[in-house]
Amino acid sequence: MPRVSVGSSSVEAPPGQSVLESLLRAGVWMPSSCNQGTCGTCKVTVLSGSVDHRDSPLETLPAEQRDAGLALACQSHPTCDVEVTPAGPTSARAGEARTHPLRDLTATITGIEDVARDTRKVLLALPEPLAFSAGQCVELEVPRTGERRQFSLANTATEDRVLELHVRLVEGGAATERWLFADAACGDEVRVTGPLGDFRAPEPEADDGGPMVLLGGGTGLAPLLGIVRTALERHPDREAVLYHGVRHAADLYDRERLVDLENRFAGFRFVPVLSREETRAYRTGYVTEAFLADVSSARGWTGWLCGSPALFESGAAAFKRRRMAPRLIHREKFTAAPATSSLTSPLTSTGA
Amino acid sequence: MTTTQQPSLAWLDDVTMTELERNPYPVYERLRAEAPLAFVPVLGAYVASTAEICREVATSDSFEAIIPPAGGRTFGHPAIIGVNGDVHADLRSMVEPALQPMEVDRYVDDLVRPIARTYLEKFEDAGKAELVADFCEPVSVRSLGDLLGLESVDSETLRRWFAQLNRSFTNAAVDENGEFANPEGFVEGDQAKAEIRAVVDPLIDEWITNPGDSAISHWLHDGMPEGETRDRDYIYPTIYVYLLGAMQEPGHGAASTLAGLFTKPEQLEEVVDDPTLIPRAVSEGMRWTSPIWSATARISKEPVTLAGHDLPAGTVILQSYGSANHDTGLYDAPSEFDLHRPPLPHLAFGAGNHACAGIYYANHVMRIALEELLEAIPNLERDTSEDVEFWGWGFRGPTTLHATWEV
Repeated sequence: MPRVSVGSSSVEAPPGQSVLESLLRAGVWMPSSCNQGTCGTCKVTVLSGSVDHRDSPLETLPAEQRDAGLALACQSHPTCDVEVTPAGPTSARAGEARTHPLRDLTATITGIEDVARDTRKVLLALPEPLAFSAGQCVELEVPRTGERRQFSLANTATEDRVLELHVRLVEGGAATERWLFADAACGDEVRVTGPLGDFRAPEPEADDGGPMVLLGGGTGLAPLLGIVRTALERHPDREAVLYHGVRHAADLYDRERLVDLENRFAGFRFVPVLSREETRAYRTGYVTEAFLADVSSARGWTGWLCGSPALFESGAAAFKRRRMAPRLIHREKFTAAPATSSLTSPLTSTGA
Repeated sequence: MTTTQQPSLAWLDDVTMTELERNPYPVYERLRAEAPLAFVPVLGAYVASTAEICREVATSDSFEAIIPPAGGRTFGHPAIIGVNGDVHADLRSMVEPALQPMEVDRYVDDLVRPIARTYLEKFEDAGKAELVADFCEPVSVRSLGDLLGLESVDSETLRRWFAQLNRSFTNAAVDENGEFANPEGFVEGDQAKAEIRAVVDPLIDEWITNPGDSAISHWLHDGMPEGETRDRDYIYPTIYVYLLGAMQEPGHGAASTLAGLFTKPEQLEEVVDDPTLIPRAVSEGMRWTSPIWSATARISKEPVTLAGHDLPAGTVILQSYGSANHDTGLYDAPSEFDLHRPPLPHLAFGAGNHACAGIYYANHVMRIALEELLEAIPNLERDTSEDVEFWGWGFRGPTTLHATWEV
């Protein structure tokens, strides 16, 4: 039986069912209205495979559109496995991110440094440059286990020879307690696959230099460092605020680097926030509370969230409360159990 | 008028227009259960209330379109929704070029988005708004008004016209003799039409000699021999169809979608976070409270057996798409708005050769309006200090929709 695929869904197409019917019967949404070929709402682009247009009216689907690979989902029947995508203006996104090819490389550990309590910075030298966007991540093969773990890159796209990862100790963790916090050493080889993820700095042409706010929890700081440095280098006068949330002062790291950024870029502010410790040196509470206290309106700002699911939820709610447009909110959710190695596409995401 | 009403349906004798306009759902729920095709005395016509019968009537060769009597009294002849054969084909060929998907894709974003922004700018920093009057209806009428060539008519006037035409079109009650029970109810429709002619006649005069790119100018000229135009009296009934239904319903649909999302705050949140869900929310909003609830009709061309009734030629059947879209044979808990219900096709835009010509256009007007609203005000909430009331039997939607947000 042929299959119909749209986006991440794939369904069976029993004989006698249109492309639309097969999708709707399987509970897969597809824009549609009249179901009789006259309104054109369900027009799709056939990306692969082919369809029989059957009774598609020429008024709704002229010959030149058929030749260009368009079809009416409600009238056409698959003749083999087909992949379609909605053809309406909703599917066209300005500034769509480019995809960097997914690659497998063997890197060499060139640095392992304790930077805060239970926190290490790991440097991986690559045999050749890797193309990626700031904010993306890579997947490491954990030696002796066959397991793989994803880590965000703290690099900007031009820092493409030595990857910088920030790693937090996980009790009993195969990649951390039993490897990167155990016997991993400079000179060791590591198999790396990447880049991955759609949490990434926008393409330069889609970046208008507008204000931005970044909320990072713990080692969720890593991708934000790549993104904010990219953003400031592009538009040195832009307004950018980076909130780094940790439990205790002992969990903070990279302060010198961020203070240096503050000194170089007048519009940049770095705000460390401690949730479990009151000191004179730092603010107390959660990063979302600090943001809400500091920023009365985030209209037109872009927002970047990286950290625990709780930060992810509360951060998005806080951004929207300050009226940031949801399409400008970017999120990377850290989860305790990273995705396993079922990589099929460079856009496989660790985030939302 | 004689009927073959079964005694068990005597309760239908007590149904009033006021009751239907306030909330038609209980009556139609009972009709679907007891008599999915039934003669309803106050309407003076048969009513089809289930999805199956509505669809069968809409697509049957034994039926053709007829404008419901109060609608015919309001619009006159030949209105596109009430004609058949060559006249219908000509009127469809007249309106369809501007409504074809490829053509709509070309202009709809540039037309609607700036209009939505303009209205948003009036209230987005106020922290509260009444979304029907402040946003949904003005975006709908301004977009279509500009498309038709009525830039000179302000949005308030366009909103007043569709409201007057609406009440006249749905002034459907008849007495025991089948005569209109409230003839004075047509007066405000007649007044609106007189105003419309006073404004549109000079524009038509201009477009006859100097064709423009407005839709009405195209209606006058397209497909006509060189030097000839369609007669204005031939196109006015269809202009009224537009100034009522096409003006009003994208506003109703957008407002109903928002009202539905307000009943499920977690679904509103989902749509805010992922605007690509807006078309799906609109589709469910159109099913949940269909704007054209019961405003179209069919008439049998020959004797026909339908749902166990032997109907003579000339039997008028009112299509109740708002009821068909609450058919429990198709939808679980149909009175609930649910973004995630199985996405079955609904009948909000009708079916058959009289299916709405503006489906694609209307869906995109609603999409763009809601995209802009939720982008500008992602923290939108229903103002719970105000009730949400719906009104209408022929055409239905929320009368007001108060919202608040933090600024």
